[in-house]
Amino acid sequence: MAKHRVDGGRGRRPGVVNSAKRGGPGRGFWLALGLVVVLGIGLLGYLASRPKLTATTIDPNLPPMKAEGYVLGSPTAPVEVIEFADFECPSCGQFATLAEPDVRTKLVNTGKLRIRFMDYPLSMHHNTWDASLAAACANDQGKFWELHDAIFTNQDRWNTEATSRPRSVLADLAKGVGLDMTKYDACMKAETHRAKIQANQQEGERRGVNSTPTFLIGGKLVPGALAYDSFKKLIDDELAKAPAAADTNAKGSSTPTTAPATDSGKPKAGAR
Amino acid sequence: MNKRMLVALVALAGVFVASYLTLYKLGYIGTLACAVGSCETVQTSKWATFLGFPVGAWGVGYYLVVLALGLVGVMPRYSEARRLSEGLVALTGFGLLFSLWLTYLELFVIHAICQWCVISAILATILFVLSWLDLREVKLLEDETLDVAAEELREGAYGAEIRNTSEVALRAVREE
Repeated sequence: MAKHRVDGGRGRRPGVVNSAKRGGPGRGFWLALGLVVVLGIGLLGYLASRPKLTATTIDPNLPPMKAEGYVLGSPTAPVEVIEFADFECPSCGQFATLAEPDVRTKLVNTGKLRIRFMDYPLSMHHNTWDASLAAACANDQGKFWELHDAIFTNQDRWNTEATSRPRSVLADLAKGVGLDMTKYDACMKAETHRAKIQANQQEGERRGVNSTPTFLIGGKLVPGALAYDSFKKLIDDELAKAPAAADTNAKGSSTPTTAPATDSGKPKAGAR
Repeated sequence: MNKRMLVALVALAGVFVASYLTLYKLGYIGTLACAVGSCETVQTSKWATFLGFPVGAWGVGYYLVVLALGLVGVMPRYSEARRLSEGLVALTGFGLLFSLWLTYLELFVIHAICQWCVISAILATILFVLSWLDLREVKLLEDETLDVAAEELREGAYGAEIRNTSEVALRAVREE
């Protein structure tokens, strides 16, 4: 099979062939290997040491928000957090299912915090608009947060990877939280709230939101699916800045005055 | 520096890239968030997990095996082992196909590109090409060694009979 090669190799001595082509690993090889190790560890170390949260301060001269979003918590709570989120974003789902139950029981229901949810549908999530519309329709019936939780908990049932027809799954979830389905269906069909969702997103764009979830806490934009502890720390910092308000609310929390005076639903003790 | 040494070096680089992707996926590095056209989209998609483990973790395992084969392969004892070269070609061929599939998913299913995933795919391609070149080199080396042996027999002070039998034996070996 390798006739020409056989001819080509004629006249060479075994030693010459072997040492020229296949020496053992020399110092150069081990040095290069060591160099790759050093570079690799250096790179990992650099990437790991980069700050996880890159909070940015937004322009304080921006006009106040016109879009309302959806509010959970007391209107007199000393701190308000605005969450920009995409219903199909797994990181948002992670925050909603892992951190948010604690946020609600420990911060919202104790009167320290008010959450304002703003839709921020990202273009690569093909089904997220339907989810935003469904949540807006649930809001008409005072059940935004109930459907919000169901949507996030069941993200893998209606997202782009699961289906190209998310509306039927979302309708199931809507039925599950007890919506009047005649009204819901009409609302979905007419896409009544498209403009409102767009307005919510525009508020985010105006403030430089470019990923979800992003939290607007005291003039700072904080991106990422925060764990409860990191979230609480940011809220505590804000509470410390408004000590008077925090005091009155600390008192208020011991005598439960959890007035859910919101346009969109009652605070619940955790998502599940 | 022969091809197997390069294989080992590239595989080691791959170990770090895949480690980064795994740590990122598990949330130890970076911020988990969704943004248009970013690593997050890829990493948070359902394709980022394979048989219960992050794809990056499979990558770490893959690169470690290639690295181990490469390191064994540069030891003088195995430096001309053809089986080892064949194993490397098979393994890195599989790695290349898997990377191609992942890249296809990024481009046409997830519609987002993750730069470190792309770097891993490039490394997988380089590994396959190097392994293939290595196999060719080892085959050539094997042929040459046989040929030199035959030459020595021919020119050596052996009787005609011995030479003939040896050549018959050599031919048999070569044909095998």
